[in-house]
Amino acid sequence: MRHPISLKQEFLKKWILGLQRCGFSSKKSTSIMERKKAIKLSADLAMASTRNGTTCWSRALITNASRDHESKILAQQILGPESQSLKKASSTMPPVICSRRIRSKKILKRSCSSHVRRVRKIALPQKVLSANSVAKRLVQKRTNILKSLVPGGEYMDDISLIEETLDYIAYLRAQTG
Amino acid sequence: MDMVGDKDKFELENRNEEDPMNFAAPSPSPSVDWRFGGLVPTGNPMAVSKGSTSMVVESFGPTLWDQSQTANPQNLGGLFSDINNVQNSASTSDTLGIRKGTPAAVASLPTIDHKTFDMGWNPTSSMLNLKGGGGIFLPGNGMLPQSLSQFPADSAFIERAARFSCFNVNGGNFSDMVNPLESMGGTNYFRGGGMMQEVFGANGQSHSQKNEMMNVDEAFKDVSMSVGEHEHEHGATGGGGSPLKNVRSHDEAKQGIGVGGSGPGNDSDEAEFSTAGGQDEPSVLEGTTGGERFAGVLESKKRKRSEQDTELDLAKVGPQQPGESAKDDTEIQQNGDQKPTSTTNKSSGKHGKQGSQASDLPKEEYIHVRARRGQATNSHSLAERVRREKISERMKFLQDLVPGCSKVTGKAVMLDEIINYVQSLQRQVEILQSRAGPSTLGFSADMPMAYPQLHSSQQGLIRAGLSGLGSSSDLHRRTMNSQLTPMTGGFKEPTRLPNVWEDELHNVVQMSYGTSATPNSQDVDGSLPPGHMKVEL
Repeated sequence: MRHPISLKQEFLKKWILGLQRCGFSSKKSTSIMERKKAIKLSADLAMASTRNGTTCWSRALITNASRDHESKILAQQILGPESQSLKKASSTMPPVICSRRIRSKKILKRSCSSHVRRVRKIALPQKVLSANSVAKRLVQKRTNILKSLVPGGEYMDDISLIEETLDYIAYLRAQTG
Repeated sequence: MDMVGDKDKFELENRNEEDPMNFAAPSPSPSVDWRFGGLVPTGNPMAVSKGSTSMVVESFGPTLWDQSQTANPQNLGGLFSDINNVQNSASTSDTLGIRKGTPAAVASLPTIDHKTFDMGWNPTSSMLNLKGGGGIFLPGNGMLPQSLSQFPADSAFIERAARFSCFNVNGGNFSDMVNPLESMGGTNYFRGGGMMQEVFGANGQSHSQKNEMMNVDEAFKDVSMSVGEHEHEHGATGGGGSPLKNVRSHDEAKQGIGVGGSGPGNDSDEAEFSTAGGQDEPSVLEGTTGGERFAGVLESKKRKRSEQDTELDLAKVGPQQPGESAKDDTEIQQNGDQKPTSTTNKSSGKHGKQGSQASDLPKEEYIHVRARRGQATNSHSLAERVRREKISERMKFLQDLVPGCSKVTGKAVMLDEIINYVQSLQRQVEILQSRAGPSTLGFSADMPMAYPQLHSSQQGLIRAGLSGLGSSSDLHRRTMNSQLTPMTGGFKEPTRLPNVWEDELHNVVQMSYGTSATPNSQDVDGSLPPGHMKVEL
């Protein structure tokens, strides 16, 4: 864990800042949902800023936030000056690069599969094979669920997905105190 | 006895950490020659004592390290012969002296012709002289430095020394072992592989020897691993890996070794030397290895080394980069490669092996992977294996993070736990945020102060909320909670509770009071006692 205490402090500072800038202190008529959104947004941006775009989920959060005009301003305020470059990079990077990577991997797999078939595989007993396939399916299912949970996780491969999950869990834990 | 002797050697090797020459920076110089000479101080043919053998091993270690990148098979042969002779001899002090690794030390050796050693190893003629512990150490004047460099790994020496000791025990005949050396002649003989071939051939105990060698290999492997840890993290391990690397294909060795040497950022000459030596050696060894049985043995050695290599290299890289950067593939490779690789004793094909080095080079975009022993060397399976190992390594990190996952093994169950945990955390955060909204309105001025209160009270509320979170539509509850938060936000002033929500609030406040008792607990359990659920509603 990267200094959970300092992480929390940093997160809190930025969260408060974002909430204040959201006009929280002044507006009292906003509905609960709006407030909720603002809080969520501020929290997301605050956390994302602590990572400064090093992690995929933070980039995805920032990117999503930057899409709306309203949240864009908030994002700028919270993230600070470095957010400009980060936004430009993040707006195009995660989904495009990830999808590119996935596409290239698929192409590679397809091209290699023609050779793979020549390789003789030691046949396992049928029970083992089916058990393996069942396990693989389970794992795949859960990986998909995890991808849907972690922001920006849809485009990542398994390995980076686990890393992002680690980071995201740290973020969530910092948020919940 | 053999194994015990080997173990003794290992112990001694480990003990000699303070020895400067031990596995230290290998100095590619002809000075190595005298070391070998020093190893044969006396001419006791079969006086193989544990102490002497261990000393021999030790002395061999540094000599190996000191040798630079000259791949001279003759030197190897000389080394082997040295080992034999040393085993025969019972002089330990000399070997230690040799360890110090200075020509001056050589001069101290009485029985050795230092000049000859300095000149280098005489290929076969010197070997011939080694009979009975004679001049084996003079394989070839010019050759020695080169060949010695081929065996930078002291662990490799240990291995061979052990093997020879095994041979001694088996055949009990050093002369037999020496004879083949004579017959070999030429450079081929002195190559490591060639040596072994000849020895095996001479003794005609290929199988038993192989078995012993396999055992010895394993023992050596462990020793080399431990040795590396003890003495020189990178160097020894690199050295231990290099001999096997040497046995492999040139490309692999060169790539892997070169990358591996530079990858972990080893500043020690040792590591570099071993890797460099490894580069040279394969060319030499490959040319000489002939018979299948020898190849099999060598392959087994290779694989064991490769396993060690992968382990060691990965281990080297691991500490340097504590596994948090996910920027480049190479980086990920480095980070993720802290895997304790298990070694198997099956034999696998030579083809398709790739040098695996967790490379630091940002320029290199390829991840070099070395096939481990007993595993398929198909490039796809290699890549798959690397991927699997990466994933398993990261799952271990997750195990520490997610509570209650330490006992769980297997990807599917682990993923399940992770998913549940992430979902519960997300719900908590959602609740907190929804609660924080109304409360922040009321306490905007005191926000910084309110936060700790909020957190503690929210924790309790979150727990309560979590228990009730079975349905997706929690809006009602959330609105309740959000309206409750301004009251519970003022945790220290429960009297503020509005009358409308008094009943529920009382319960909630009680819960928050209860939870506030444990404000530091940050682990939110998804499962609360059922009583909480009822209370909240």
